[in-house]
Amino acid sequence: MKILVCMKQVPQKDAPLKLNETGTWIREDVSYEVNEPDAFALEESLRQKEKHGGEVVVITSGPARSQQVLREALAKGADRAIHLEDNAFVGLDAFNTAKAFAAAIKDEKFDLIFTGLQSDDYGYAQTGVILAELLGWPHATIIMQIEKTDSGIKVKRELEAGFFQFVDMSLPAVLTIQSGINKLRYATLIGIKNAKNKPLRKVALAEVQSAIGENLQKIERLYVPQKTKKTEHIEGTPSEIAKKLVDKLRNELRVL
Amino acid sequence: MLIFRKPIEGIDRPQMPADVVIVGGGPAGMACALRLSQLIDVHNAKNPESQRSKENIYVLEKAREIGQHCLSGALLDPRSMRELLPGFEKEAPLDAEVTKEAVYFLTEKSKFKLPITPPPLRDHGNYVISLNRFVKWLGGKVEETGITIFTGFAGSELLFDGNRVTGVRTDDKGVDKEGHQKSNFEPGYDLNAKIVILAEGPRGSLTKQLVQKFDLAKNANPQTYGVGIKELWEVPSSRIAPGEVIYTMGWPLTTKEYGGAWIYGSKDNIVSLGFVTGLDYADPRLDPQRVLQDFKQHPFVTKLLEGGKMIRYGAKSLPYGGWWAIPPVAGNGWMILGDSAGFVNSARLKGIHLAIKSGMLAAETAFEVLRNDALKKDDSSAATLGDFQKKVESSWIKDELWKVRNMHQGFARGFYAGMFHTALQMVTGGRGLRNRYPAKAGYEHMRKLAALPADGGAEAHLLGPAKGDGKLTFDKLTDLYHSGTKHEEDQPSHLVIHDTNICNTRCVKEFGSPCQNFCPANVYEMVDDATQPSGKRVSLNPSNCVHCKTCDIADPYQIITWVPPEGGGGPNYDGM
Repeated sequence: MKILVCMKQVPQKDAPLKLNETGTWIREDVSYEVNEPDAFALEESLRQKEKHGGEVVVITSGPARSQQVLREALAKGADRAIHLEDNAFVGLDAFNTAKAFAAAIKDEKFDLIFTGLQSDDYGYAQTGVILAELLGWPHATIIMQIEKTDSGIKVKRELEAGFFQFVDMSLPAVLTIQSGINKLRYATLIGIKNAKNKPLRKVALAEVQSAIGENLQKIERLYVPQKTKKTEHIEGTPSEIAKKLVDKLRNELRVL
Repeated sequence: MLIFRKPIEGIDRPQMPADVVIVGGGPAGMACALRLSQLIDVHNAKNPESQRSKENIYVLEKAREIGQHCLSGALLDPRSMRELLPGFEKEAPLDAEVTKEAVYFLTEKSKFKLPITPPPLRDHGNYVISLNRFVKWLGGKVEETGITIFTGFAGSELLFDGNRVTGVRTDDKGVDKEGHQKSNFEPGYDLNAKIVILAEGPRGSLTKQLVQKFDLAKNANPQTYGVGIKELWEVPSSRIAPGEVIYTMGWPLTTKEYGGAWIYGSKDNIVSLGFVTGLDYADPRLDPQRVLQDFKQHPFVTKLLEGGKMIRYGAKSLPYGGWWAIPPVAGNGWMILGDSAGFVNSARLKGIHLAIKSGMLAAETAFEVLRNDALKKDDSSAATLGDFQKKVESSWIKDELWKVRNMHQGFARGFYAGMFHTALQMVTGGRGLRNRYPAKAGYEHMRKLAALPADGGAEAHLLGPAKGDGKLTFDKLTDLYHSGTKHEEDQPSHLVIHDTNICNTRCVKEFGSPCQNFCPANVYEMVDDATQPSGKRVSLNPSNCVHCKTCDIADPYQIITWVPPEGGGGPNYDGM
């Protein structure tokens, strides 16, 4: 199986964030890491390759710093990488990112495309799904298990409240992978060393520019929630207080 | 039952040959790698017929990313960087050039400015930097050369063949709390190296193994340390100018403890402030993290920080025993750099420039050894690596450290005696009353509770944990949260206590478990345990560890050994 894994570099979860001048995104001077579900998507692709043979290709978009996620993936066992390298990719919405990816892989033939369930920064959970639509492939989200069958694959999706759904799918297909589907491996010294010599194709913005349009989604304003604290005294007899309290919890605060 | 980290025994380990392994990717290790690459480049340009490869030169760095465990004030004396990369000022991340400096002596409510700044603390021409960002930049330069930096890998053991160091074993990954292999277990590699260079920072864990094995410190003074507790603040504009440098002595410490604070104005209204407490204090109840909180409540500091926000926290020990505390720095197959060796100028409170210089000198020695090796010269590398020792002793590293060789020892009997000795040493070229002042290890200064006033006496305000108001001052856990510290939870404790009986029976009574106080990250806790005669048992939170090494240094029984946890874990010192 030939699998493409879409990966993203996101700010570290506990990084102290500062807003940029226009208040539309964060300042860049934080440390970054691999988007968590993407790491599980990569691990799953490597396990599928180990079972069924084939090739694992990783792709990301973003400035030079985002090459780090590709290096890590190559060190863990991916065969080659594609880097859409430009700062402008950071500001793209899910629709345009999917379009850029589709343009960058138009000459490739994959059986499966994996993405993480969603990104830890924007959290759209759309790029994978839109990419499937652009390619005209079926997709399934929140994947917890993948098995190869004679006709394609059988996947396990996580639904709410502990329910799962099993779906048979034909290939090619796009899957968005849930964190925890497997146990992540460690990169090894020899893996890191060998990664230096694996192919990494750089795609400039100009090469995919014609596929990209205006963003359909836009962040208007980003702000840090103001912490406020209000104390209210409820008066009356104990039973009146209890009644008023339940009323407030249920109808004002909506926690009951 | 506490299970402690140690390399898994009886397994086959992957082997990797190496010319040079540098353990630690801080300023010393990175400068060493970069200089080595420069020497190889020059050689290759001159000798097209005998090209030398950088392929088997490796840097091990336990942090997940380059620079993430680097913490310092920091002021950079550019001397060594100008030698390493002339014109580096144009591209390095330097936050501000020092424009103004002042030294204050603080009492609880007042401050007295020293009429003249003592010469060692005159910082014009130095730069305020974030060591984290600086090392990230320097590491980027190393990566461009083709030398491989293995981030997320620690050196867990040295490999020996008789008296020769033959390599480094990296950390085992995927070992659970009980010490068993998990499904994703990856054994540490044996990097079989011609030359091992230890650049682990203060109290390096492999350096400690080496020094103990060969009793290297036998002719040196015991190394003495301080622990620097640092907070990074964003303050309202124009409170302090970029490049403004303030040092303080005195409050909250009394005249008995050694230490002081720094406040550096950086760019974008960022202020670096911190307090270094000498790890040779007497009262085991003293808490260095609290000392910083007390310091911030001085009106002078409060005024500076008011309305600002604390954005990062961290802690790191530093060696300031000076020239007499430095062990031999080269031997059979090994060299020791930077803070691991003790290259810190305790009068100037600076060591980054010395770390870099020591890295450069070691690179020159390593290059010679590799060249002789390539030419198959009959030249034992022990003798040739010893050349590094000579290089250090004939370099400006020694010139600088020699002048202050007795500085810290002069303070063994408190502040006033210290000022007397310092003044005397200044006019006698560092000599003072004698050429070599003796020293004893810091932990030996710690006194048992029975010998101390129950209420703490003059030190009462320094003892016990800080409560914190959540705005200006913080309790330890709040501070710790701001260090960004993260470890794989399911692994054995990397704080190795050799005999927990001592903790549970003797220390709890004799010293009142100082580990709870000196650890700036709440790693150590004494929990109730009815099965213990003392009713208390030591419990560890290794995931909180910020890798400062204070416990390894300050424990009065010397039964704690800090070993690296699974690579990749630790603090995240963005901007520190």
